[in-house]
Amino acid sequence: MVENRASAVRLGRGFWSVTLLFAVLSVLAIVFWYWTPIGIVMPVVAAQPGIQIDDLFRFMAASGSALYIFVVGYIIYFAVAFRARKGEPYDSIGVQVHDNHKLEFWWTLIPTLFVVLLSILSVRIWYGIQIAQPANGLVVEGLGHQWYYTFRYPGINGEVTGEMHLPLGQPVVLNVTSSDVIHSFWVPDIRLKADMVPGLVNTIRFTPTRLGKYPIICTEFCGTRHGWMNATIPGANGQPNPGAQFVVIDTPANFQKWYHAWQIKNAHASNALPTASTGTVSLAGGDANAGKALFAQKCSACHAIGPFSQRIVGPGLKGVLHDPSHPNLVDGDPATPADVAKILQQGYKGDIGMMPNATANGLSNKDIANLVAYLKTLK
Amino acid sequence: MSTAAVSHGGGIADHIHPEPQGFIRRYVFSIDHKIIGIQYLITGFVFLVLAGLLAEVIRTQLLHANGGFVSADTYNEVYSVHGSAMVWLVIIPLITGGFGNVIMPLQIGARDVAFPWLNMLSFWIFPVAGLMLFSSFLMGAPVAGWTEYPPMSLQAGAGTSMWAAAIFLVGVSSTLTGINFVVTMFQMRAPGMTFTRMPLFCWAQLATAPLLMIATTALAAALAALFMERQFGVPFYDPTKGGSPIMWQHMFWFYSHPAVYIMILPAFGMISEIIPTFARKPIFGYKMIAFSSMAIALAGFMVWAHHMFTSGLAPYLQLPFMILTFTIAIPTGVKIFSWVATLWGGKIHFTTSMMFAVGFLALFTLGGITGIFLAAVPFDLHVHGTYFVVAHFHYVLVGGSLMGIFAGMYFYFPKMSGRLMSEKIGKWHFWLFFIGFNGTFLPQHWLGMLGMPRRVPTYDPQFTFWNQFSSISSYVMTFAILLFFINILVSLRNGKKAGPNPWGARTLEWQIPSPPHYYNFKHIPTVYGLPYDFSQPLPYKGLEEELTDTPVAVGAH
Repeated sequence: MVENRASAVRLGRGFWSVTLLFAVLSVLAIVFWYWTPIGIVMPVVAAQPGIQIDDLFRFMAASGSALYIFVVGYIIYFAVAFRARKGEPYDSIGVQVHDNHKLEFWWTLIPTLFVVLLSILSVRIWYGIQIAQPANGLVVEGLGHQWYYTFRYPGINGEVTGEMHLPLGQPVVLNVTSSDVIHSFWVPDIRLKADMVPGLVNTIRFTPTRLGKYPIICTEFCGTRHGWMNATIPGANGQPNPGAQFVVIDTPANFQKWYHAWQIKNAHASNALPTASTGTVSLAGGDANAGKALFAQKCSACHAIGPFSQRIVGPGLKGVLHDPSHPNLVDGDPATPADVAKILQQGYKGDIGMMPNATANGLSNKDIANLVAYLKTLK
Repeated sequence: MSTAAVSHGGGIADHIHPEPQGFIRRYVFSIDHKIIGIQYLITGFVFLVLAGLLAEVIRTQLLHANGGFVSADTYNEVYSVHGSAMVWLVIIPLITGGFGNVIMPLQIGARDVAFPWLNMLSFWIFPVAGLMLFSSFLMGAPVAGWTEYPPMSLQAGAGTSMWAAAIFLVGVSSTLTGINFVVTMFQMRAPGMTFTRMPLFCWAQLATAPLLMIATTALAAALAALFMERQFGVPFYDPTKGGSPIMWQHMFWFYSHPAVYIMILPAFGMISEIIPTFARKPIFGYKMIAFSSMAIALAGFMVWAHHMFTSGLAPYLQLPFMILTFTIAIPTGVKIFSWVATLWGGKIHFTTSMMFAVGFLALFTLGGITGIFLAAVPFDLHVHGTYFVVAHFHYVLVGGSLMGIFAGMYFYFPKMSGRLMSEKIGKWHFWLFFIGFNGTFLPQHWLGMLGMPRRVPTYDPQFTFWNQFSSISSYVMTFAILLFFINILVSLRNGKKAGPNPWGARTLEWQIPSPPHYYNFKHIPTVYGLPYDFSQPLPYKGLEEELTDTPVAVGAH
């Protein structure tokens, strides 16, 4: 018999049987995602908070699979159960139901609740990654180049090339930027990634938890050799890939050895930029008010008038010439007006990227004197 | 009959111009929305072939871990033009300019769009821009992907400027189409065709048109700045001159995220027409589907920075973008559930069009779910810029938009040509495409999670198996698309005559001859209800003479 326009709107036994089947399959999918080793779809975890990212993935994969089983399951079931039988006239019609407010209410409410739940979960993990990491970590700076990375460590002059070593168990604050185009710093085993954007400092923070050597991969297109800025790529003709660079997680003792070796190797490396000098700057007669105006115009985009740690691009400059705890910028001694004038004149290849020199900033000798006078007033 | 009293501008719409004579005015520089729509479809499909061949260059390169099919530089050009062409020369023109033009005015009972000459201009900009984009290969095509992030795009060869100019022009074309469609839908609906009686395809176009108008202008500004920086050294993006590369990303994604909805909403609209027609029952939750299109379009403007979680967004700024992106799942879910519910209790006829529509549901849902994964900042920090992202957006754009386009072609081809497409070739097309597509893109999810970055001509040798699996599947997919074109050509000559309404559909375009006359309707009909009540008589009056030989009074009111 052909069901027709007047047929009652009700769900039969077939519907509830397949619903039960989908529920069972969903539970199996959830069990699968929670019990299977994550290694089938993810690399090993070498740092905190990688575990939490994997947990979030498990949650999303499990709930996504369950949802998908229901959607596709019902599509297949309806396609089979409600297919037009052979010989059925084309003008026979289906159940004429337009909507069902109760059903629509529930299938709006349940996804909404799911979105709330997922938001709470994601925000908590986000908080652990972005905010709640220890603040007192080892500060390392990563610089992207076409097509390699260099690193800077506190206490090592110049740049570290090749492998990037980190001590096991010590929190790391990795600040990254680029010297040319946008690169990205990704270590799949650490689960974190930061784009290296010229003129901008991005930060990722993590704590290494597993000894080993982990490939660094660039995930932002950066030119011809982008594909080889990836330590998993072998080189041509059996040679090592020159673009292969690794994060090496060492025991603290081995890390110290490596660190001292670089300190010695780079003892005479310079942090100053080679620039054309504008002659000797006379600091006498600097006008702090003029310097203040100039600071707002030329410097405030990158430097805050706050503690050293208040970084915009460069460090905060409050107390730069007064506070002995203010880190030493140039040669290891407390900053003097002459040092500051020298940085202003010659620029500085600083912690992160570059501070432009007087030529790039358009500063005259008089301007430098005024700025130094102003910086002296910041206590 | 008098319609002027109830019609918006019915007086204008009632006036019939004589049909232009001569090949050029009829088929080349036509102002007829149906011809323009078909011009969009033909041009878009030509670009689909070209961009599809580029895709096969990509997959052939990736057959081996160390590449070797083309050089790295050529490879970079190939995927950049592939992505740009697929977005701007294939999906957007096919789904807005193509189907929107052919179907929308017919569905609202209008004789043309509001600005037919503007429509002609919109179309003719598009092939010119397409030729410009492909000609960039002659001077060093863009290399930095379809997103062309500076400073990389500032370093690249001269073709990048050509790219910027070409995309700018396509943007002008899109903007004009958006304006045209909004005015048409506001001013030219037949009497009685209230917004709450409008077919869902028109609702989808109504949600899309503001995106075309508003978002595209942001892209135009960004492209103009890129062009000026490259050609005249005006520093917008170069950080060494005080520019900001991040500004490009914001401007680009402020367009390109809504563009995702430009590409998918009209497909939603076609699915909403096809599923009730072949299930022989009303669309479930008409109002919720219409409303959710608008909700998606509106929310689509507020989530762009989820493409930039690793770019250097202030951490707290990541939260609103993450959570707003999650919320888009709600209206999208409502749509999917409504379509599935429409299948329930139907008398489902599995024509090729319906198979593509149902296939769309399965594939788009998967792409939507992985979209939620990517919106979650912690997970995105791992998979951003990897093949996981590539897999996700191909599920949405190929499994979603392109499947929708195929469904729409099998559905509307009889209306456009008067002939049915071959169901036999169509079913081969569907199954090979469905299998080939999943084989190509499903493995890319885990390739990305395990560590394969995107936009690379070489990869870790341990990923060889799944890459070869993907490449070979992509050849199957390409073969399926070849069948589709063969089907079109064969059916144009030898297809069964369709008659006015081969599917028993109830929207207005099916109540007039196939192909429709130049003037569409002899008399503008009056509409009394929704088009989806299969148990009721058609809710139109004034269509009595449409299928008769009564001549139409040209120039009459």
